[in-house]
Amino acid sequence: MKILVIEDDKTTGSYVADGLKREGHAVDLLTSGSDGLIQASVGAYDVMVVDRMLPGLDGLSLVRTLRGAKNRTPILLLTALDGVDDRIEGLNAGADDYLVKPFAFGELSARIAALGRRPQMSEEPTVLRARDLEMNLLTRKVVRAGQPVDLLPREFALLEHLLRRKGRVQTRTMLLEAVWDIHFDPQTNVVETHVSRLRAKVDKPFDSELIQTVRGAGYRIEAE
Amino acid sequence: MSLRLAPPPLRSTPLRLAGILILVFSVAILAGFGGAFWVVRVQLGRDLEQQLAQSLAAYTAIARVNELEERLAEDVTAADPRRTVIVFTRSDGSRISNVPAFPDLRGTRILREGELDGIDLGEGAADSYLVSSADVPGGRVLLAKGREQIAELREIFSSVLLISFVPALVIATGIGFWAARRAQNRVEAIHGALTQMTAGRLHARVPDMGGAADDLAQIGLAVNEMAGSLAASMESLRQVSADIAHDLKTPIQRVSVLLEELDQGRDLNPAAREVVRRARDETDQIVRTFQALLRIAQLEGGGARQRFAPVDLSRLADGMAEVYAPSAEDTGHRLTVELDAAPAVVQGERDLLGQVIANLIENALRHTPAGSGIVVMVAHRDDAVLLSVCDDGPGVPEDERENVLRRLYRLERSRTSEGSGLGLSLVAAIADLHGADLVLSDNRPGLCVTLHFRGGTGG
Repeated sequence: MKILVIEDDKTTGSYVADGLKREGHAVDLLTSGSDGLIQASVGAYDVMVVDRMLPGLDGLSLVRTLRGAKNRTPILLLTALDGVDDRIEGLNAGADDYLVKPFAFGELSARIAALGRRPQMSEEPTVLRARDLEMNLLTRKVVRAGQPVDLLPREFALLEHLLRRKGRVQTRTMLLEAVWDIHFDPQTNVVETHVSRLRAKVDKPFDSELIQTVRGAGYRIEAE
Repeated sequence: MSLRLAPPPLRSTPLRLAGILILVFSVAILAGFGGAFWVVRVQLGRDLEQQLAQSLAAYTAIARVNELEERLAEDVTAADPRRTVIVFTRSDGSRISNVPAFPDLRGTRILREGELDGIDLGEGAADSYLVSSADVPGGRVLLAKGREQIAELREIFSSVLLISFVPALVIATGIGFWAARRAQNRVEAIHGALTQMTAGRLHARVPDMGGAADDLAQIGLAVNEMAGSLAASMESLRQVSADIAHDLKTPIQRVSVLLEELDQGRDLNPAAREVVRRARDETDQIVRTFQALLRIAQLEGGGARQRFAPVDLSRLADGMAEVYAPSAEDTGHRLTVELDAAPAVVQGERDLLGQVIANLIENALRHTPAGSGIVVMVAHRDDAVLLSVCDDGPGVPEDERENVLRRLYRLERSRTSEGSGLGLSLVAAIADLHGADLVLSDNRPGLCVTLHFRGGTGG
């Protein structure tokens, strides 16, 4: 993907840019908001990563200006602020996602991947598949290797979320937001315990592991 | 924070002032009338006395008895007993008089109604008479003059009072209360704007009240100016805390980036890797504490009230308990939910209320031993909705309960367990934002943390 990173802090900026380059993306790094606005308007980017506080033009105004100019490139806003107000303000300005500093690279990378491949509003599938597992969204039944798997509603939602994003890492916070609608950071490993319950039903009785842990990032169901 | 209604009329300053003014005005007018009445009355009384004295002096001046009797006979015939009574008593006791009988008095005095009973003075006689007598050659003369003038005076004053004072009072009351109501409306507009601001809506302003630029309009303007500068200083405070957050979080971000790079390096021996891992954990903890502090500071600004919407606490509690169910199972806790059948709706911010429940459950999980029970309860009590998380663990001593709400405070026995010491402070800040009372009580055994949401509804 072609990614534009606008971040005034050199350490954070090069950390993000280098990391994304290592993952095979083409990255442009800029340090001021006004330069960023010009570059964002002329270059065709797949995703933009914008720091909220920038010299010249702040990130929020930059996002607003771009959206005002009908630029629909997905934008991930980086911020040091993490109040509910700030998140809603950021999303209202037109950002697609919001990441609070400090963040782990895995979290950023997973969110950028999610933004770059937003689910297309094509035909809604009725069956989701991964290897020998089948999830029927109409009957809400899950079958693996011909055997029915009994899931609680929330376990079903968690598995469905991972299946719909096959091949992409989903971080703990992404899962908390999408499956439980929780926008704060619980101090208990609630996601881990839920994933381990799901694994006990989906993976343990079978010989291969479907749900993978990505170290330092989150979870993923491998795409075939 | 509850919205107060306008004060009852008696406690409204403009109305009370108008009432007091009208009262003072009435008392002053009545006192003036009373004074005038009293002065005129005294003067009339004196005139009457003088008239009597002059008439008597005229009789005593006549030296010859014949002449005096002649004059008296003339006067008696002419005098109307309803106005003037003349009694001449000769030395032998015989009388010349225009009334059949009259009390024989000496000196000057007033004869009142009761003392005239049984004395025929004719139809329409005065109610009281001023009486005086004097010795004259050959006897004594008694003169009595009717005081009806003075009695009439009272009637005249009453009518004047009725014609002038009552309409004036009505007009003054009307205008007074109209003006007071006008002032009252302005005061209420100012009060309303201030109440809104207290509730966190800093954009609230006193509406333009039109009319003269009087003191209330000026107070309205001053309140608006104050609100403007308050909003500006809130904004600059926000900006400052945002700057601090930015300035501190960026270096923290760098540290965690550097630690991550160090961790991924291959030339690290296991001991060094362990140190790096611990350093990363510590950085995470710094970030958590820092974020919790910033959040509390932000909540205390009260701005989040603008986004309040109805939240069903029952559903939220159920959802949160479900999130923590596997964690509780893993640590050997029994986590249960007790909900009222009716929905428990309060005005609030769903994310923040969810965080309250999460923090309270986490607190209970962390500070009670395995095997303890934790109950999340939502109930209706009178007019309030109660949200509580109770455990049957070791509890918190009564004298420590206030302290645990303080920022970064931790009980001695909890020093070694994880947690920032900000969980309950955050709960307290969120409760305060929602106008809910936070109560820590003894669950015998264990701790009960309860939030009372006043004015919550069941539907």
